[in-house]
Amino acid sequence: MPDIGGSDLFVLAFGDILHYFNPYTATLFLLALLFTGLVIASRPERQLDIAFGGDAYYAKMTTVSEMRFRRFMAIACGLASMGAMASGDIFNFTLFVSLVGITNVGIVSAVRIRHVLNAAYEYGIVAMVATLPLFGGAALILGTTGTLSIQALAAGGFAVPLVGKALLALGVIGEGMAPFYAAKAEMFRAPGAPYVIMCSLSSLLIFLRVVEIVITI
Amino acid sequence: MIPVYSLGLLGAFASAGIAFYALMRETDGLHRLLLTDLVEVVTLAFIALLGTDLAEALILPGLVVGVSELIALSEIFRIKEGYTRPPADTLQIEVMNTAPPILAALLVIYGIILSGFSGGAVAGLGVIFYFLSRDPGERFELIETASGYSWVLWIIAFFIFMVFPQHWFFAVMLAGSAILVKVMAKMSLIGTMRGDPDA
Amino acid sequence: MLIISRISRVLSNFQHLVALFAGACVIVSLIGIFSLPLAFEENQLYPKTLDPASSLYPYDRGGVPFGPTEIVAQYPENSPYAGYVTTYLTPLSQYLADHTHYLGTTIVAHPGGIIDEILYNTRGLDTVVETSILFTAFAIASYLYRRREEE
Repeated sequence: MPDIGGSDLFVLAFGDILHYFNPYTATLFLLALLFTGLVIASRPERQLDIAFGGDAYYAKMTTVSEMRFRRFMAIACGLASMGAMASGDIFNFTLFVSLVGITNVGIVSAVRIRHVLNAAYEYGIVAMVATLPLFGGAALILGTTGTLSIQALAAGGFAVPLVGKALLALGVIGEGMAPFYAAKAEMFRAPGAPYVIMCSLSSLLIFLRVVEIVITI
Repeated sequence: MIPVYSLGLLGAFASAGIAFYALMRETDGLHRLLLTDLVEVVTLAFIALLGTDLAEALILPGLVVGVSELIALSEIFRIKEGYTRPPADTLQIEVMNTAPPILAALLVIYGIILSGFSGGAVAGLGVIFYFLSRDPGERFELIETASGYSWVLWIIAFFIFMVFPQHWFFAVMLAGSAILVKVMAKMSLIGTMRGDPDA
Repeated sequence: MLIISRISRVLSNFQHLVALFAGACVIVSLIGIFSLPLAFEENQLYPKTLDPASSLYPYDRGGVPFGPTEIVAQYPENSPYAGYVTTYLTPLSQYLADHTHYLGTTIVAHPGGIIDEILYNTRGLDTVVETSILFTAFAIASYLYRRREEE
């Protein structure tokens, strides 16, 4: 099996679920950790809409409760991304990815702007149906190989069906919307800079991780 | 002869294809939300095809993820469409004025004896009944807080299992009591959500 | 150039998002059908055994409460006390199980057995993440619900 992530640096065992770091996932993990720290420390941006043809502008206000809620969701999203980076079990990884998906919806759902809510709803439906390819892929891999541990699968001797890998990748794409940034831009028009960027970063991270998993197993 | 597992997969893939095709053609927001249920069921079929004890354990997270996303999405849908009218006043019959304290107390006591998840469900039933018949008032936040703290205790119990396995008995007891409160609190919210406090 | 701008215009409209993703899933489902038959690995973790004589049949998940039970885990060395947290029945269910043979048909109300072991001990982290998902969804729903009351 190709070993693209490098050798393991550290393994943390929780019963049957192993967490491990190799140079690749440790880098992604640190990135998520750094950004979560930034989200905790920073203050949200204030958006200004400038009216054309005059000096007037509108300041979009964000209430304190909305700010706190979105910060909570952004932090949860950061923690979920960290979990997804470190998890060494396919089913556990899919659960972390679902958590990333639902916190992404949560970050934008608190906004009161109608078109943002519309986009969040459409995105939420995709995130919801993406659980089929995610869990389906994990179940297919378990059924055909008899194990869920990425380390055991990487050790070789298992024929992981291609369709299982395809389902897993498709599921992560659906939860994170990784290639559909154009559609996500609609969500990013919501005020509150560091929090919406978390949506983007987390989906990029989980996509990079699933690439590693699919190549490794 | 076709192996059973492949036959099951054929059915699951075919159902997934049909469900996604329906979702592809549908444009109405609410109908899309309903169609996601069709997809969720196929997800469970994929897991159930394994037929092991592990599959049974994995179905639970699969089910919970689907249900919880449905909760959040339906609330977003409601806000998005602007449906903010509170529901009409609740059911009013004689029994609901006299029976609640006794029945609720009996169910809660039996639930506490059982403890664990089923205990929480039994006790929660009693509390739902009580709140359904009485004015919910502003106990909403108190219940949420209790539920949140018991959730934390429950999570602590899990980590005791993983980090200090020799204290497994303490972890079982902690998890059993915490989930009792948690399930009871979550279920009692159903009781308070019916009707408006001012109606 | 023209094709790319046309594609990006379709992609940028979020109304098409669900249809696009569903279309991709239909294609993968078709690939799945064409990749059949797939062999089922007989050597599974936590295999299920059926005992028709048990009064909990077909949902008897086995296990002695607070005693050692044999389970096939991925890494048995990580869970030294695996098998201790297994089946328990409520007093009423225990009575029914002792006196009838049909309690298994109402097993939806009686979880337990090896499942508890998997959910709590060997794969406990799955449950932690699962309840976190529920918690997050609940937080979103209750935040939106409560905000309506403030208005």
